[in-house]
Amino acid sequence: MQRYLASRLLALIPVLLGILAVVFLLIRLIPGDAVQLFLGTQVEMTPKQMVELRRFFGVDKPMCAQFLDYLGRILRGDFGVSLRTARPVLADIMQRLPLSFQLASLALLIAMAIAIPLGILSAVTRNSTFDVFTRIIGLLGLSMPNFWLGAMLILIFSRYLHVSLGQYVPVTQNPVGTLESLYLPALALGAAIAAILMRYTRSSLLEVLGQEYVRTAHGKGLRGSAVMLRHALPNAMIPVITVLGFQMGYLLGGTVVIEEIFALPGMGRLVLQAIFQRDYPVVQGVVLVIALLFVLTNLAVDLLYAWIDPRIHYG
Amino acid sequence: MPGSTPASTTAEARDRAPKVEQPRLRTGVRWWARRFLRNRVAPIGLAIILGSMVIAMLAPAIVPYDVRKMAPQDALHPPGGGYLFGTDEFGRDVFSRVLMGSRVSLVVAFLSVLTALALGTTLGLIAGFYGGWWDSVSMRAMDIIFAFPAILLAIAIMAVLGTSLFNLVIAIGIVYTPQFARVARAAALTVRGLEFVDAARALGLGNTRIIWRHLIPNVLAPVTVQVSLNLSLAILSESALSFLGLGTQPPTPSWGNMLSEGRQFLELAPWNAVFPGLAIMVVVLGFNLLGDGLRDLLDPRLR
Amino acid sequence: MRVRLWMLLVIAALILPALPVRAAPGGTTLTVGVDQEVVGLDPNLVTAFSSFRRIDFLYNKLVRYNDRLQIEGDLAESWEYADSKTVTFKLRRGVKFHDGTEMTSEDVKFTLDRVLDPNTRAPGRSFIDVISSVEAPDKYTVRLKLSLPLASLLSGLSSANLAIVEKAAVQKYGNLQRNEAGTGPFMLAEWVPDNFMRLVKNPNYFRRGLPKVDTLIIRIVPDQASLLAGVRTRALDMATINQGPVITAAKREPSLNVVQKAGLNLRIFSFNTSRPPYTDARVRYAFSWAIDRQAIINTAEGGFATASGPVPASTPWATPTSKFPSYAQNVARAKQLLSEAGFPNGFATKIVTSPTYEGGIAVAQVIQEQLRAIGVNATLENIEWGTYINRWVARDFDTMIELRGGDPDPDRFLYRTFHSTGGVNNFLFKDAAIDRLLERGRVNVDPDARKPIYDELQKALIEAAPALFLYVPMETQVLQNYVRGFKIVGNGALYYLEEASVER
Repeated sequence: MQRYLASRLLALIPVLLGILAVVFLLIRLIPGDAVQLFLGTQVEMTPKQMVELRRFFGVDKPMCAQFLDYLGRILRGDFGVSLRTARPVLADIMQRLPLSFQLASLALLIAMAIAIPLGILSAVTRNSTFDVFTRIIGLLGLSMPNFWLGAMLILIFSRYLHVSLGQYVPVTQNPVGTLESLYLPALALGAAIAAILMRYTRSSLLEVLGQEYVRTAHGKGLRGSAVMLRHALPNAMIPVITVLGFQMGYLLGGTVVIEEIFALPGMGRLVLQAIFQRDYPVVQGVVLVIALLFVLTNLAVDLLYAWIDPRIHYG
Repeated sequence: MPGSTPASTTAEARDRAPKVEQPRLRTGVRWWARRFLRNRVAPIGLAIILGSMVIAMLAPAIVPYDVRKMAPQDALHPPGGGYLFGTDEFGRDVFSRVLMGSRVSLVVAFLSVLTALALGTTLGLIAGFYGGWWDSVSMRAMDIIFAFPAILLAIAIMAVLGTSLFNLVIAIGIVYTPQFARVARAAALTVRGLEFVDAARALGLGNTRIIWRHLIPNVLAPVTVQVSLNLSLAILSESALSFLGLGTQPPTPSWGNMLSEGRQFLELAPWNAVFPGLAIMVVVLGFNLLGDGLRDLLDPRLR
Repeated sequence: MRVRLWMLLVIAALILPALPVRAAPGGTTLTVGVDQEVVGLDPNLVTAFSSFRRIDFLYNKLVRYNDRLQIEGDLAESWEYADSKTVTFKLRRGVKFHDGTEMTSEDVKFTLDRVLDPNTRAPGRSFIDVISSVEAPDKYTVRLKLSLPLASLLSGLSSANLAIVEKAAVQKYGNLQRNEAGTGPFMLAEWVPDNFMRLVKNPNYFRRGLPKVDTLIIRIVPDQASLLAGVRTRALDMATINQGPVITAAKREPSLNVVQKAGLNLRIFSFNTSRPPYTDARVRYAFSWAIDRQAIINTAEGGFATASGPVPASTPWATPTSKFPSYAQNVARAKQLLSEAGFPNGFATKIVTSPTYEGGIAVAQVIQEQLRAIGVNATLENIEWGTYINRWVARDFDTMIELRGGDPDPDRFLYRTFHSTGGVNNFLFKDAAIDRLLERGRVNVDPDARKPIYDELQKALIEAAPALFLYVPMETQVLQNYVRGFKIVGNGALYYLEEASVER
């Protein structure tokens, strides 16, 4: 197990390095330079001032030197400072991480609340009209652009229901306020995940229900609901949990447009603005953290999987 | 559940969730057609897709108004009175624009998935079938792309390449390449371990023959499902990129830029954003239903 | 196995911890929604408009514009010209920085020298680069020596980029991007970037009795519709809104008060005058006849804008647009001009715009459609902001939709924009007669002598048409009815919030 873990962690290193290199290169390939963007179209600067600005932005050296420089600092845990706001990148990320995490958790909770009961019902009534209907409704959630769903929710809630859309407050200050500001965006995100979860719940349960031991349990004279609760459901949930984990990884980086619409100060908005402003250190830092979280979540899910289901052994 | 090789990262981990397994390909079109129709979900999806493709093809002939024609006196006209879906701030007919917009959305979706399919399947098949260093390198590259948040990667690529229809196809294509590479690789790995391949080798068949005769047919089923599901993702990606102003150029209507332009009229003229959104929903639902149905059909454990 | 599964679910449920609700601070609070977060807070270094608006709460300038766009004293009590190249400012006495130290002529001299030093990278340098020396003869007197007379000097000094900073604080922190050391009505208490900024009343503010509210909260809400939703549900007391359709929706709400004033920004349609066919002034002028400015305003701004010439229509210097013949659309005249220039059947061209400019795409689309009537077939290039700036800097465009920041003083906007050596003359426009008018206008400190020069200049710019001048969008604030005393300034500044009160 330990050897397995060590090798998995080791394998992450080239991936993370690759991500760093790709993002470093990609953001610099985008036409438009950080200094000019900072100045916009209204500001006049003398050539001497421009030289000073380029040095200050750290774009006066060759790109290769810049990369090695950056790599060296990252390894020492120094993510640099934002070119635009002069705030330390790591501090900005740490400030936004809780929101992204809470939004993702809430979206998953909502998705589970919708998907698991519907998935079970749909599996039990397989191929009935109810099943077909439920699946179509479920897939509808996956078929809408989440930003569109978000905009529609804002329209309905604020215009017709006159419900206040709270500004985000940290959970440590006011958990109710946090919930108030997050439930709509979480619903918009959760709708799509619910569809995926439902699909897995349904197919996983169908598979389990078709297996020997479930049939045996029925044969022993156990009631249908008891078989479902004691035997079928727990086993069927295992792959569903795996999917949940992967969705968590996806959600941490996939909420960009939703954050924009709901005015949530999360990592998605931070990185989107940074891309458009060519704020190189911020883009690099955020993408690295998101990717790291993504691969670590996936690793955690794998380990969890083995822990829940003793039949699986790694190593 | 298949065990995991120690060196695997996210790539195989993701594939471990129950997905499409190798179906035993049975011949007989009628046998498949019967099963397809009995599935109930997939035929609905197929009908929606075919319907929207027909509309997209006929759109220039059937739209009631020129999509560029501005009628300032009729700006923001609510649905009805000659304008089925109302008009936008320029007085252009939303219904005509939704119909014409289907062309951009569908073309981008099909071409980008085709790009991802060609790139990904080739990479995956070679990696899975030959293994070795190429396998490690290409799959690690796929991991890198995969670990990027998809939308951010697409945004960055669009920003590098600049906005055009062609670049939209490239950006979305690259983002979805790893998924095809993985599906194809997994299938290739399975086939490589099967007895009949050894038998074929023993009979002196070359790799090329084996790939064409045995590998491709076996990869076909899982890839088909992937194509259908990715088409839905591609349409959503196009709309998100256009929404952020990185997609198709106005005045060419696409559903994404209609949403983008319609967003500020959400209060005043909701039809501007509601109808293109509904159009996306219906078409994407079609691809999802088809993909979901096919997944069931091709999954041997659910027979 | 089942036990472990349930354990896991319980742990997952505990991830969101419940902690006690923090009590709200006392006193009156005004919450304002804006769509942009600041990029830095050092007045002398920032370039973003959003930063200027925030800096106004924390700092003061020597002079400022009042709500009728007239210069009035801010930190300076009075000023006088000894000759056209020497100005002396008398400072207010007893003004305190937020840390309690007194603001003196030393700080003013330090600030101006800081801006003038090229190593500071100060964007405001070009506003005041005629200053050859700054003297502080006593604690409350500052004397500026100029290398040339400059009529727009006071206007330049009213910029947030020239807000007076505390010498000791700059020396302590290096720069003020994250710290604040001002004299303004509010002090920075808490800042969660991209979420909100909490400002508290400065008890020692030099305008006695102000500010009227104890706490000012600025919330960042990037989406305009969400801003409206915020004021509608009273989560916000006030919001800055700039999309026409959202303003129209706000006006329908009886509980909301929509305050508007013509602004100073100017929407223009720029030509690259070095690229054929735009090398020919007749072609450019033909476009001026071909377009319908009111139609553009109605579509792109929901009607909330004023047609304008080269000087923003909101300032007293502006020539009324009725004096510009080409402002009455005349397609036949446009076609005639094109024929004279050798394009009877029109030509193909490109319009560059960016989604970052609110309404820019709508303007481009209407113009594109209107140009079809004179045979000009325009393609849109709607490009991402960074690319747009790049093309702007490289002067790589045929035509371009821009939003220029105007100024109450005609010299500050027109000279750098249309003089052949102007820093933001991306039209590559060269016209000796116009250069001369610009030069005469800027050195003339007497307003009565200046007026005819700028009247002539405006007429000349319309006909030479380095750009088509379209309109000035309105500055719009949406307030709850219970917010009183706020005055809107055409330059978009929010400093009159110091006079606003909440009377529920």
